Amino acid sequence: MKAEYINSFYIATQDVFNLMFDLDVKKNGLKVAEDMIPTKDLSVLLGVTGDLKGTILFSFSNNMTLNMVEIMSGMKMDKIDTFVSSALGEVANIIGGNALTNLAANDYVCDITPPQVFVGQHKTVASLEEKTLIINLGTNIGDFDINIFLSEN
Amino acid sequence: MMWKEKYRIGVDLIDSQHQELFKRLSKFIQIVQNNIPWEDKLEEVKETLNFLGGYVVFHFNDEENFMKEINYPDFELHKKIHEDFKDEINEYIKLFEKEGFTEDKIQELNAKLMTWLIMHVGKMDQQIGKYTKEKGGY
Repeated sequence: MKAEYINSFYIATQDVFNLMFDLDVKKNGLKVAEDMIPTKDLSVLLGVTGDLKGTILFSFSNNMTLNMVEIMSGMKMDKIDTFVSSALGEVANIIGGNALTNLAANDYVCDITPPQVFVGQHKTVASLEEKTLIINLGTNIGDFDINIFLSEN
Repeated sequence: MMWKEKYRIGVDLIDSQHQELFKRLSKFIQIVQNNIPWEDKLEEVKETLNFLGGYVVFHFNDEENFMKEINYPDFELHKKIHEDFKDEINEYIKLFEKEGFTEDKIQELNAKLMTWLIMHVGKMDQQIGKYTKEKGGY
Protein backbone atom coordinates (compact mmCIF):
# COMPACT_ATOMS: atom_id res chain seq x y z
CA MET A 1 0.00 0.00 0.00
CA LYS A 2 1.42 3.36 -1.00
CA ALA A 3 2.24 6.02 1.57
CA GLU A 4 -0.01 8.60 -0.11
CA TYR A 5 -3.09 6.42 0.51
CA ILE A 6 -2.33 6.30 4.23
CA ASN A 7 -1.33 9.96 4.42
CA SER A 8 -4.51 11.09 2.67
CA PHE A 9 -6.58 9.56 5.46
CA TYR A 10 -4.19 10.57 8.23
CA ILE A 11 -4.10 14.23 7.15
CA ALA A 12 -7.89 14.28 6.64
CA THR A 13 -8.35 12.87 10.17
CA GLN A 14 -6.04 15.51 11.65
CA ASP A 15 -7.87 18.33 9.82
CA VAL A 16 -11.36 17.15 10.78
CA PHE A 17 -10.44 16.50 14.42
CA ASN A 18 -8.86 19.91 14.66
CA LEU A 19 -11.85 21.67 13.13
CA MET A 20 -14.65 19.74 14.80
CA PHE A 21 -13.18 18.91 18.21
CA ASP A 22 -10.20 21.28 18.63
CA LEU A 23 -8.06 18.18 19.11
CA ASP A 24 -4.59 17.34 17.85
CA VAL A 25 -4.11 13.83 16.48
CA LYS A 26 -0.77 12.04 16.63
CA LYS A 27 0.33 8.72 15.22
CA ASN A 28 1.00 6.19 18.00
CA GLY A 29 1.90 3.25 15.84
CA LEU A 30 1.23 1.04 12.85
CA LYS A 31 0.57 -2.67 12.58
CA VAL A 32 -0.34 -5.17 9.93
CA ALA A 33 -3.44 -7.37 10.28
CA GLU A 34 -4.87 -10.31 8.34
CA ASP A 35 -8.51 -9.25 8.49
CA MET A 36 -10.54 -6.12 8.94
CA ILE A 37 -11.87 -6.54 12.47
CA PRO A 38 -13.25 -3.78 14.73
CA THR A 39 -10.69 -3.20 17.45
CA LYS A 40 -12.89 -1.07 19.73
CA ASP A 41 -16.56 -0.70 20.81
CA LEU A 42 -17.93 1.27 17.86
CA SER A 43 -16.74 1.17 14.29
CA VAL A 44 -17.57 2.88 11.03
CA LEU A 45 -16.94 1.21 7.69
CA LEU A 46 -16.46 3.20 4.48
CA GLY A 47 -16.09 1.56 1.08
CA VAL A 48 -13.80 3.17 -1.49
CA THR A 49 -14.47 2.88 -5.22
CA GLY A 50 -12.95 4.44 -8.35
CA ASP A 51 -9.21 4.54 -9.15
CA LEU A 52 -8.64 2.86 -5.79
CA LYS A 53 -10.79 0.17 -4.24
CA GLY A 54 -10.96 -1.03 -0.69
CA THR A 55 -12.34 -0.41 2.76
CA ILE A 56 -11.57 1.90 5.65
CA LEU A 57 -12.65 1.03 9.17
CA PHE A 58 -12.57 3.54 12.04
CA SER A 59 -12.79 2.07 15.57
CA PHE A 60 -13.53 4.10 18.70
CA SER A 61 -14.25 3.26 22.34
CA ASN A 62 -17.70 4.11 23.74
CA ASN A 63 -16.15 6.71 26.04
CA MET A 64 -14.31 8.49 23.29
CA THR A 65 -17.40 8.46 21.06
CA LEU A 66 -19.55 9.99 23.82
CA ASN A 67 -16.87 12.57 24.45
CA MET A 68 -16.68 13.51 20.75
CA VAL A 69 -20.45 14.00 20.53
CA GLU A 70 -20.41 16.01 23.77
CA ILE A 71 -17.81 18.35 22.26
CA MET A 72 -19.89 18.83 19.11
CA SER A 73 -23.27 19.17 20.77
CA GLY A 74 -22.21 20.93 23.98
CA MET A 75 -24.49 18.48 25.81
CA LYS A 76 -23.82 15.63 28.21
CA MET A 77 -24.24 12.27 26.47
CA ASP A 78 -24.74 9.21 28.65
CA LYS A 79 -25.61 6.48 26.18
CA ILE A 80 -24.85 5.30 22.66
CA ASP A 81 -28.13 5.99 20.90
CA THR A 82 -28.93 6.64 17.24
CA PHE A 83 -27.92 10.30 17.57
CA VAL A 84 -24.47 9.37 18.91
CA SER A 85 -23.79 6.47 16.52
CA SER A 86 -25.05 8.47 13.51
CA ALA A 87 -22.86 11.43 14.51
CA LEU A 88 -19.84 9.10 14.61
CA GLY A 89 -20.79 7.77 11.17
CA GLU A 90 -21.03 11.33 9.84
CA VAL A 91 -17.62 12.29 11.27
CA ALA A 92 -16.03 9.26 9.57
CA ASN A 93 -17.88 10.17 6.37
CA ILE A 94 -16.51 13.73 6.52
CA ILE A 95 -12.97 12.39 7.07
CA GLY A 96 -13.49 10.07 4.09
CA GLY A 97 -14.69 13.01 1.97
CA ASN A 98 -11.65 15.09 2.90
CA ALA A 99 -9.36 12.12 2.21
CA LEU A 100 -10.84 11.87 -1.30
CA THR A 101 -9.84 15.48 -1.92
CA ASN A 102 -6.30 14.65 -0.75
CA LEU A 103 -6.23 11.55 -2.98
CA ALA A 104 -7.46 13.61 -5.94
CA ALA A 105 -4.44 15.89 -5.44
CA ASN A 106 -2.35 12.73 -6.09
CA ASP A 107 -4.42 12.00 -9.24
CA TYR A 108 -6.57 9.25 -7.74
CA VAL A 109 -10.24 9.92 -8.42
CA CYS A 110 -12.35 7.96 -5.93
CA ASP A 111 -15.73 7.89 -4.27
CA ILE A 112 -16.88 6.56 -0.91
CA THR A 113 -19.95 4.53 -0.01
CA PRO A 114 -22.30 5.70 2.79
CA PRO A 115 -20.95 4.94 6.29
CA GLN A 116 -22.02 1.76 8.07
CA VAL A 117 -21.80 1.81 11.86
CA PHE A 118 -21.00 -1.42 13.76
CA VAL A 119 -21.35 -2.03 17.46
CA GLY A 120 -18.99 -4.49 19.16
CA GLN A 121 -15.58 -5.98 18.55
CA HIS A 122 -14.04 -9.11 17.08
CA LYS A 123 -16.33 -9.59 14.12
CA THR A 124 -14.77 -9.59 10.67
CA VAL A 125 -16.41 -6.86 8.62
CA ALA A 126 -14.48 -7.38 5.41
CA SER A 127 -12.56 -10.35 4.05
CA LEU A 128 -9.44 -9.29 2.28
CA GLU A 129 -7.10 -10.91 -0.21
CA GLU A 130 -4.15 -9.07 1.24
CA LYS A 131 -3.04 -7.74 4.60
CA THR A 132 -4.48 -4.53 6.00
CA LEU A 133 -2.79 -1.74 7.88
CA ILE A 134 -3.99 -0.47 11.27
CA ILE A 135 -2.93 3.02 12.35
CA ASN A 136 -3.38 3.78 16.04
CA LEU A 137 -3.97 7.49 16.63
CA GLY A 138 -3.88 9.37 19.91
CA THR A 139 -5.76 12.45 21.15
CA ASN A 140 -6.33 14.08 24.54
CA ILE A 141 -9.66 12.27 24.87
CA GLY A 142 -8.42 8.79 23.96
CA ASP A 143 -6.96 6.78 21.14
CA PHE A 144 -8.62 5.16 18.14
CA ASP A 145 -7.73 3.00 15.15
CA ILE A 146 -8.04 3.43 11.42
CA ASN A 147 -7.85 0.19 9.51
CA ILE A 148 -6.95 0.86 5.86
CA PHE A 149 -7.06 -1.51 2.94
CA LEU A 150 -6.70 0.09 -0.50
CA SER A 151 -5.39 -1.14 -3.82
CA GLU A 152 -5.31 0.26 -7.35
CA ASN A 153 -8.27 -0.74 -9.46
CA MET B 1 -24.16 23.16 20.17
CA MET B 2 -21.26 25.37 20.90
CA TRP B 3 -20.66 28.43 18.77
CA LYS B 4 -16.94 29.11 18.55
CA GLU B 5 -15.20 32.36 17.72
CA LYS B 6 -13.18 30.55 15.06
CA TYR B 7 -16.42 30.14 13.03
CA ARG B 8 -16.69 33.92 12.61
CA ILE B 9 -16.18 35.02 8.98
CA GLY B 10 -16.11 38.76 9.68
CA VAL B 11 -19.41 39.65 8.01
CA ASP B 12 -21.85 40.68 10.75
CA LEU B 13 -25.06 39.63 8.99
CA ILE B 14 -23.76 36.13 8.19
CA ASP B 15 -22.08 35.67 11.58
CA SER B 16 -25.21 36.57 13.51
CA GLN B 17 -27.30 34.22 11.34
CA HIS B 18 -24.80 31.41 11.89
CA GLN B 19 -25.05 31.95 15.64
CA GLU B 20 -28.84 31.84 15.40
CA LEU B 21 -28.63 28.59 13.39
CA PHE B 22 -26.41 27.00 16.04
CA LYS B 23 -28.86 28.17 18.72
CA ARG B 24 -31.93 26.76 16.95
CA LEU B 25 -30.30 23.45 16.11
CA SER B 26 -29.05 23.19 19.67
CA LYS B 27 -32.57 23.72 20.98
CA PHE B 28 -33.87 21.06 18.58
CA ILE B 29 -31.22 18.53 19.68
CA GLN B 30 -31.99 19.27 23.36
CA ILE B 31 -35.71 18.60 22.83
CA VAL B 32 -35.06 15.35 20.94
CA GLN B 33 -32.44 14.11 23.43
CA ASN B 34 -34.26 14.94 26.70
CA ASN B 35 -35.87 12.13 28.67
CA ILE B 36 -39.50 13.10 28.04
CA PRO B 37 -41.46 10.23 26.35
CA TRP B 38 -41.47 10.62 22.54
CA GLU B 39 -45.27 10.91 22.21
CA ASP B 40 -45.36 13.73 24.79
CA LYS B 41 -42.86 15.87 22.94
CA LEU B 42 -43.73 15.00 19.34
CA GLU B 43 -45.65 18.24 18.73
CA GLU B 44 -42.77 20.31 20.07
CA VAL B 45 -40.34 18.29 17.91
CA LYS B 46 -42.40 19.04 14.78
CA GLU B 47 -42.73 22.75 15.63
CA THR B 48 -39.02 23.16 16.37
CA LEU B 49 -38.03 21.31 13.20
CA ASN B 50 -40.29 23.59 11.20
CA PHE B 51 -38.83 26.67 12.90
CA LEU B 52 -35.30 25.42 12.17
CA GLY B 53 -36.04 24.46 8.55
CA GLY B 54 -37.50 27.90 7.84
CA TYR B 55 -34.41 29.57 9.22
CA VAL B 56 -32.06 27.38 7.14
CA VAL B 57 -33.80 28.51 3.92
CA PHE B 58 -33.84 32.17 5.08
CA HIS B 59 -30.12 32.07 5.91
CA PHE B 60 -29.08 30.29 2.70
CA ASN B 61 -30.93 32.96 0.69
CA ASP B 62 -29.21 35.79 2.55
CA GLU B 63 -25.81 34.14 2.26
CA GLU B 64 -26.29 33.50 -1.46
CA ASN B 65 -27.36 37.13 -2.00
CA PHE B 66 -24.27 38.28 -0.16
CA MET B 67 -22.04 36.05 -2.31
CA LYS B 68 -23.61 37.53 -5.46
CA GLU B 69 -23.17 41.04 -4.14
CA ILE B 70 -19.42 40.57 -3.65
CA ASN B 71 -19.01 38.57 -6.92
CA TYR B 72 -17.80 35.56 -4.97
CA PRO B 73 -15.99 33.32 -7.49
CA ASP B 74 -17.21 30.02 -5.98
CA PHE B 75 -20.83 31.13 -5.80
CA GLU B 76 -22.20 28.34 -8.03
CA LEU B 77 -20.39 25.59 -6.14
CA HIS B 78 -21.46 27.00 -2.77
CA LYS B 79 -25.07 27.37 -3.89
CA LYS B 80 -25.05 23.77 -5.16
CA ILE B 81 -23.84 22.57 -1.75
CA HIS B 82 -26.76 24.46 -0.15
CA GLU B 83 -29.17 22.91 -2.67
CA ASP B 84 -27.84 19.38 -2.07
CA PHE B 85 -28.20 19.87 1.68
CA LYS B 86 -31.79 21.14 1.31
CA ASP B 87 -32.56 18.12 -0.91
CA GLU B 88 -31.17 15.80 1.74
CA ILE B 89 -33.35 17.41 4.45
CA ASN B 90 -36.38 17.27 2.15
CA GLU B 91 -35.85 13.53 1.72
CA TYR B 92 -36.15 13.18 5.50
CA ILE B 93 -39.27 15.38 5.55
CA LYS B 94 -40.84 13.17 2.86
CA LEU B 95 -39.96 10.10 4.88
CA PHE B 96 -41.50 11.62 8.04
CA GLU B 97 -44.69 12.47 6.16
CA LYS B 98 -44.88 8.94 4.80
CA GLU B 99 -43.77 6.89 7.80
CA GLY B 100 -44.24 9.27 10.72
CA PHE B 101 -41.75 11.16 12.87
CA THR B 102 -39.83 8.30 14.48
CA GLU B 103 -37.34 9.05 17.25
CA ASP B 104 -34.59 7.07 15.49
CA LYS B 105 -34.89 8.93 12.20
CA ILE B 106 -35.07 12.33 13.91
CA GLN B 107 -31.91 11.48 15.88
CA GLU B 108 -30.22 10.42 12.65
CA LEU B 109 -31.25 13.71 11.01
CA ASN B 110 -29.94 15.69 13.99
CA ALA B 111 -26.55 13.98 13.76
CA LYS B 112 -26.40 14.94 10.09
CA LEU B 113 -27.48 18.55 10.73
CA MET B 114 -25.00 19.01 13.58
CA THR B 115 -21.94 17.62 11.77
CA TRP B 116 -22.87 19.32 8.48
CA LEU B 117 -23.34 22.72 10.11
CA ILE B 118 -20.03 22.55 12.00
CA MET B 119 -18.10 21.55 8.87
CA HIS B 120 -19.90 23.93 6.53
CA VAL B 121 -19.58 27.00 8.75
CA GLY B 122 -16.14 25.97 10.04
CA LYS B 123 -14.64 25.29 6.63
CA MET B 124 -16.68 26.18 3.52
CA ASP B 125 -18.08 29.51 4.76
CA GLN B 126 -14.63 30.57 5.96
CA GLN B 127 -13.68 30.93 2.30
CA ILE B 128 -16.33 33.66 1.91
CA GLY B 129 -14.76 35.51 4.86
CA LYS B 130 -11.29 35.10 3.40
CA TYR B 131 -12.38 36.43 0.01
CA THR B 132 -14.21 39.37 1.61
CA LYS B 133 -11.09 40.33 3.59
CA GLU B 134 -8.88 40.03 0.51
CA LYS B 135 -11.21 42.45 -1.27
CA GLY B 136 -10.79 44.96 1.52
CA GLY B 137 -13.53 43.92 3.92
CA TYR B 138 -17.21 44.59 3.99
